[in-house]
Amino acid sequence: MALLEVKDLRTSFRTDDGIVKAVDGVNFTVEKGQTLGIVGESGCGKSVTNLTIMGLNPRQNTVSSGQALWKGDDLLRMKPRELRDIRGNDISMIFQDPMTSLNPVHSIGKQLVEAIQLHRDVTKRVARARALELLKAVGIPRAEARIDDYPHQFSGGMRQRVMIAMALINDPDLLIADEPTTALDVTTQAQILSLMKRLQEDFGSAIILVTHDLGVIAEIADDVLVMYAAQVVEQAEVHDLFNRPQHPYTWGLMGSLPRLDADVERLTQIPGQPPSLLRPPSGCRFHPRCPYVMEVCKTKVPALVPTQKDPDHLQACHLDEDTKDREAAKLIAETMAGAT
Amino acid sequence: MATNSRPPEGAGDELLVVDDVKKHFPITRGIIFQKEIASVKAVDGVSFSIKAGETLGIVGESGCGKSTLARCITRLLDPTAGRIFFEGREITKLSRPHMRPIRRDMTMIFQDPYASLNPRKRVGFIIAEPLEIHGLGTAAEIKLRVQELLEVVGLNPEHYNRFPHEFSGGQRQRIGVARALAVNPKLIVCDEPVSALDVSVQAQILNLLKDLQEDFGLTYVFIAHDLNVVRHISDRVMVMYLGKVAEIATREVLYREPKHPYTGALLSAVPIANPELGRARRPIVLEGDVPSPVNPPSACRFHPRCPRFQEGHCDVEEPPLYPFGDGQVASCHYPLERWPMDADEMRRPSQQARELAHSS
Repeated sequence: MALLEVKDLRTSFRTDDGIVKAVDGVNFTVEKGQTLGIVGESGCGKSVTNLTIMGLNPRQNTVSSGQALWKGDDLLRMKPRELRDIRGNDISMIFQDPMTSLNPVHSIGKQLVEAIQLHRDVTKRVARARALELLKAVGIPRAEARIDDYPHQFSGGMRQRVMIAMALINDPDLLIADEPTTALDVTTQAQILSLMKRLQEDFGSAIILVTHDLGVIAEIADDVLVMYAAQVVEQAEVHDLFNRPQHPYTWGLMGSLPRLDADVERLTQIPGQPPSLLRPPSGCRFHPRCPYVMEVCKTKVPALVPTQKDPDHLQACHLDEDTKDREAAKLIAETMAGAT
Repeated sequence: MATNSRPPEGAGDELLVVDDVKKHFPITRGIIFQKEIASVKAVDGVSFSIKAGETLGIVGESGCGKSTLARCITRLLDPTAGRIFFEGREITKLSRPHMRPIRRDMTMIFQDPYASLNPRKRVGFIIAEPLEIHGLGTAAEIKLRVQELLEVVGLNPEHYNRFPHEFSGGQRQRIGVARALAVNPKLIVCDEPVSALDVSVQAQILNLLKDLQEDFGLTYVFIAHDLNVVRHISDRVMVMYLGKVAEIATREVLYREPKHPYTGALLSAVPIANPELGRARRPIVLEGDVPSPVNPPSACRFHPRCPRFQEGHCDVEEPPLYPFGDGQVASCHYPLERWPMDADEMRRPSQQARELAHSS
């Protein structure tokens, strides 16, 4: 049985302007020890997907449907009490902004101890020892001295380490990291990514990594979901995705990326803006921005189906596979031109 | 002194020359009798020059002083020390009225397209404002010019009467570009113009900036923390660390043969969007964080984090900007011999480098 199995997940928010379908029929599974990357631009529903799984959406004006089976039990149908037992214990989450996700009026030691005592019946002393152990594991220098410091006394990178320590403190089976390195500098990002890789090896947890950065995905994901306008448009093993991308949106993302390993005079830009989810485009949601648009794209919604050559590579596009393979090869040749 | 206001030697076709500029922010204590107890040395002795039509990229981590430097160049902040020359004329000490005509030639694009446009003003007004301030044309001419500018940056001229909130992030940044472009400047200082945007939109703005440079012969100072973006747009790149220049080189040279260990570490930390290449290499992971600019490390400011640190040298003697040919300069006593290098190799500067360092 998969650790987490998400089936036809839908979340919509009622707003003054109408109903926003922020997640619209998303399916995926996460196995033990696997790293699943979810990539997409802002507003594509990648964060809401995870918030829905965790039951963290505001209860008012939110409607969710579908299933999120955690070891067989549906998280969406659990009572708040049951969900609390799982959150922070079996599944934990790291948020983007380490500045606002720690409580500024309590020392980090107190917050870590609280996280343990919520789920484990242990004494404060034991919990504190565990907290110290984790702070050391995530590489906080002089952890003994710093455990009683307050969040503002830490730098951004160090705060993110504290967040990771807190997320790992109860040995979760699944860690959801929502843009964990976006607010950080590259050198700090490299530290945090290598830390996450190492901790995954040590603790064996599965990770869902949400990011807009294809570079980060390429570094640590095993499998990747590409999301666009609340839907999954492509899903593949990471090497397959980068070697044989099958969706024009994925091509656009790759082409628009300025990169260190290749010289491109002009970036391929995706024309236009991501669509409003209040009134998403008909047919394929990417069709107004797609350079390969056909008549059928405007009316018929493409299903997310396996490619003929690789049943594990899913894509949602009406173009025929030969054309896509040709275009993908062209794109890779272009971006790799002058690779050093 | 008349001689003092001439730019340093070699000046001629340089549009902008920055000479040993410092900006220290005082930290004071006391209410009535304020006493300076320390200062944040945000920019601490930076020199460089830019030729007309060139793009200089400035990279560095947060807190390295790159934005402060940008504000010093445009005189939005007054430098504590040093001199700035624009078209051969010193502008460091110019009064506001004397500065005003120069502001026509030197504009800025800011990072946050949400915060840098007045939400209560219509787009037409926002773009027209610099033209009105400088008295460039009658109301009808200005309106025509604004509509032309909207078209140049890829917006619909009919959007003249809309408010900033009616636009997406990328479109707002286009408005920012149009405003900077309005007075036909020679130099545009771009402070993180694309870091708040999604990649697909980021590519649109980068392409737009490149096109505009070709069409109007613009010179850019382009500040960013993203090394990929800087590489894409720059002719030359300056790497800053804690208020000082670590390295300056042309784009090709900097990315192919970095000399400063900090540049090397930055380059190796950038994630590569290619699973095979990205996972094969071993990044040089720097320990710790950027130290505080209130109390920067002695001598070479990078020494506490540097893999090549040599005790008794790097922490005692401050490295000058050593030249390496092709206009490449780097402030390191033990520059990298080659690139790429992994962390272990990096820790062992060659014998030759040591001898050279000791003889100097």
